Amino acid sequence: MAAVPEPTSPTPLLELNGLSMSFGGLKVIDNLDLVVNQGEIVSVIGPNGAGKTTLFNLITGIYRPEAGQIRLGGESLVGLSPHKINKAGVARTFQTLRLFLNMSVIENVMASQYGRTKVDVVRAMLRTPGMRREEKAIRRQAEEKLSFFGQRLMGYRWNQPAYSLSYANRRRLEIARAMATEPRILLLDEPAAGMNPTETHEITELIGQLRDEGGYTILLIEHDMHVVEGISDRVVALDHGVKIAEGSFEAVATDPRVVEAYLGTKAASTK
Amino acid sequence: MSDTPDTPGVPEPPPEPPAETESGPKVGVDSWVASHEGRTQRGPLGWLAHGWESTPDWIKLLAFVAIAASLPYWLLRSEGDLFNFGLYTLLFVGFGLGLNVVVGYAGLLDLGYVAFLGIGSYTYALLSSPYYGIHWPAEAVIPIAMLAATIPAAILGFSARRLLGDYLAIVTLFFAEAFVVFTNVANPVLFGKGLTGGANGIPQVDPLTFFGYKISSTKQEYFFLIGAVAVVAGALYLANQSRTGRAWRASREDPLAAEVMSMPVNRLKILAFIFSSAVAGLFGAIFAAILTAAVSTQFGIPFLITIYAVIILGGLGSIAGVFVGAILINCTFVFLEPQTDHPGFKRWLFYGAIIVLVALLKPWYKAVVVFVGTIATGFVAHAVVQAWGGSAWTGGKTINGASWLSHWVIIPKTSHGNFDNILYIGLVVAMVVVMMLKGWWRIIALGPTLYLTAVVWENVLSENPGVTALILFGAMLVGLMIKRPQGLLGQARVEIV
Amino acid sequence: MHHLLVFNIIDQIRTLGWPGFWSLLRNGIVSGSLLALIALGYTMVYGILQLLNFAHGDIYMVGAFIGYGVLQAFGGAEMASFPIVPLIIIMFAVAMVGSGVLGVAIERVAYKPLRNAPRIAPLISALGVLFFLESSVQLLTNSAHVLYEGVYLGGNYPSTFGPLLNSVFTVDGIPFTTVDTLVVLAAVALMVMLVWLVYRTRFGKAMRAVAFDREAAAMMGIDVDRVISMTFFIGSVLAGAAGVMYGLYIGDTSFTLGFQYGLLAFTAAVVGGIGSIPGAMLGGLLVGLFQNFATGYVGGQWSDIVVFGILIGFLIIRPNGILGSKAIQKV
Repeated sequence: MAAVPEPTSPTPLLELNGLSMSFGGLKVIDNLDLVVNQGEIVSVIGPNGAGKTTLFNLITGIYRPEAGQIRLGGESLVGLSPHKINKAGVARTFQTLRLFLNMSVIENVMASQYGRTKVDVVRAMLRTPGMRREEKAIRRQAEEKLSFFGQRLMGYRWNQPAYSLSYANRRRLEIARAMATEPRILLLDEPAAGMNPTETHEITELIGQLRDEGGYTILLIEHDMHVVEGISDRVVALDHGVKIAEGSFEAVATDPRVVEAYLGTKAASTK
Repeated sequence: MSDTPDTPGVPEPPPEPPAETESGPKVGVDSWVASHEGRTQRGPLGWLAHGWESTPDWIKLLAFVAIAASLPYWLLRSEGDLFNFGLYTLLFVGFGLGLNVVVGYAGLLDLGYVAFLGIGSYTYALLSSPYYGIHWPAEAVIPIAMLAATIPAAILGFSARRLLGDYLAIVTLFFAEAFVVFTNVANPVLFGKGLTGGANGIPQVDPLTFFGYKISSTKQEYFFLIGAVAVVAGALYLANQSRTGRAWRASREDPLAAEVMSMPVNRLKILAFIFSSAVAGLFGAIFAAILTAAVSTQFGIPFLITIYAVIILGGLGSIAGVFVGAILINCTFVFLEPQTDHPGFKRWLFYGAIIVLVALLKPWYKAVVVFVGTIATGFVAHAVVQAWGGSAWTGGKTINGASWLSHWVIIPKTSHGNFDNILYIGLVVAMVVVMMLKGWWRIIALGPTLYLTAVVWENVLSENPGVTALILFGAMLVGLMIKRPQGLLGQARVEIV
Repeated sequence: MHHLLVFNIIDQIRTLGWPGFWSLLRNGIVSGSLLALIALGYTMVYGILQLLNFAHGDIYMVGAFIGYGVLQAFGGAEMASFPIVPLIIIMFAVAMVGSGVLGVAIERVAYKPLRNAPRIAPLISALGVLFFLESSVQLLTNSAHVLYEGVYLGGNYPSTFGPLLNSVFTVDGIPFTTVDTLVVLAAVALMVMLVWLVYRTRFGKAMRAVAFDREAAAMMGIDVDRVISMTFFIGSVLAGAAGVMYGLYIGDTSFTLGFQYGLLAFTAAVVGGIGSIPGAMLGGLLVGLFQNFATGYVGGQWSDIVVFGILIGFLIIRPNGILGSKAIQKV
């Protein structure tokens, strides 16, 4: 797999080269190449255990790859700690929600701006004018990101603890929290998991808006094929850590190897 | 920027969104939760809680300062009361405030906290006493004491990442132990004298002297402490409201998510650790000045557990909780003291606490069953033992008044071998059994257990107040963790798994 | 004249010579065996619940007191109404069962309700249990130091335990007594049994499964609560046995014993690699040796500080311990 098919001549934002990772002898990601261009929405699909979440963990620095390169806008991310990778411009959500449950909704979004703000704790204790100014800016940013979700996370909910939110709203809050770090690329790990069809539709539209209005580049893991179909510029299929197909949704969805990966050999051959 | 439009030729477009999505927070789970939370707090208690929550924090602090400052003029008139109740409560507030930063905000189990208090104490004692003949003023020594306490904290924190996880607890516990051994036993010789004075510690420490103004009387110390506690509480409150405070709480809630969301978790934890030890250094120094001595055995594990009891009873992470916890714990301590001015009071404190706890049982008739069971068990047991063993077993009298209780509680006239020990072990076993029983069985078993508690209290515990306090604190920590981990003033936590 | 610490140590090594070395080695091995037994309880509980069971050291202390209680019930060491071998066996049996039951009770009361609580909750609960036990024993014993008479006093008393001080063999004139040998052999026997239990039986398999992934194990039909209770039981039984051995070997028992040995044993578990059963044994031996050599060559007042330094050193250089495996964080 030498080069990625490129429809136009876009700027590559995130580039993975020969990425490999294994746990206890089991290859979870095997020599993976992937490019996400500026302004693209790329979906990663694949059966359970294909290595999708591991891929996110590698990009965000939770795991360190055994081999290969990860570059964001040409800068290498390998070996940086997760908070530095976030500062470089990568933000993510988690498949198993990881909100700061006992903090209020707005505090969740304010907390994630830590990396892009500066005032130290001594100035905070003295309540200097600079500190107040920054605190106001943090709050404004948080309100702005929360307002992205319409009425869902507005008003009285700001001061509610995050644990009081419904499942779908928790997913939304995770996205808002990631957006507040002002990333160059957003990694969304199954944003529609556990949502009903209405909510799924809403989140699909929202992801489109994130790109069109927010200007984010998005790398997405999703099982719900309606979501993948609706928004992806490109789809990448993984199986056992190997990229088995890449291209438009239709091309990938009908690729025999993808069908085989999802349904097993027999089903594929009878089709 | 989008170089490809929406994927063309989609076979089946996703369903149209129903219009209700934008209808706001009228229906749905969240608003139910919101209104439900309002509903759970009704009646006078709910009203109180609501009033407390809607009061601005600075007003609470002002109210505290005003009330505390007036106390020496009406409630704590005698020097002894002011010292025992007033000064010690404020000291515990100070100790608790520091520990609250590391445990409450950052969620790290720091069991070496007392060693940092000790370092502050010894630093002050060495630089402001006749021991080495150095008499530096407090405005110079206190910053040095704070710095001295933060240095080992920084070394411990920076030395290994692993130290910030579970191991922090054991390493800091060992550090506390090593501190006591170092000051008490090792006592290395420096300038011709043991640096830490061994078991005697460092005596005759100077009173606090700021810019020539000496703080020496109990009342002066008390007012000084009110100021110190208020300033530290305010500063920590502001720190907690800042970006750093949010990051502390976020990394306590979910370290991994915090790290991915741009917070340098390890650095933040070390910062909290250092912060807490600086506060410990400050109040350790004040402690030495007030006690006019630094003695290593003071900074042992019983002291640690008491400070933990303070912050956990009030509610981890809550500054107001530290105040409440300090008042409750210190008053318990003072009333349990053997040579207090209020000898009969501890009995009423003890029975009162039990009665309140039982009265909280719901529904009300369960509480009645327990009360009736307790009282009935008492008379039956007393009668049986009287018939079997005569007055040698029941003829004893309670200490410190309330002699009518000895018609209900079995108190042997003379000591009978291991009677006390068997009673105590029996009580512990009974309590474990009660905790394992369920439903009505538990209610029925509770009566005799409470009676046994009363017997043990009158025979064993009230005679050993110091140990009793520690036993109660230990049991309280376990009980609070199981029944109300958020403490008295902490936020309720709902886990959705 | 101020001597550098290093010169002091070299002086001390010269003065003590080979006999001194052998006796320190002997003491190190014996107390290392004890520490290994206690460390096993820490490591097993940590392996299965990721919980630092602070109260474990106190279970050991209670074991030592139970052994003492049994001894007193039979008339005490000076005039025991029983021959020595069955007496020791009864002491071990009662202390082991008693400690085991105590361990299970602690788990039920203080830890089980907190399985899904935030991590700090069971730690604080453990701290509470530590205090409760320690203070309770302080209350019950009136802060007394008790002795398994005769042994500690060097056999000058007419004691049932006199034979324990007979020398089995000598190295360079340094005797290795019956009690030394007994402690080491009993510890090894218990550890062999433990290894057999964990690696060769159905229960051991269930235990390892629960340690690996509690939820998955529950779904596979393993009674997780029972396995956890059994783990506490086994760990506490070992601690109880170690308590009696301590009583026979050193004798001076008081309510603070649990805290001191608990810290050392925990260090042993960390040095060996927490969660690893062979690691706890190796760590126990190492800490025992370090502690005794530090006592001999540097000075008793420094031994705790030396062991603390070793703990910190290990956490910096090899944070997973000697035999620990690297943990993978699940996301």
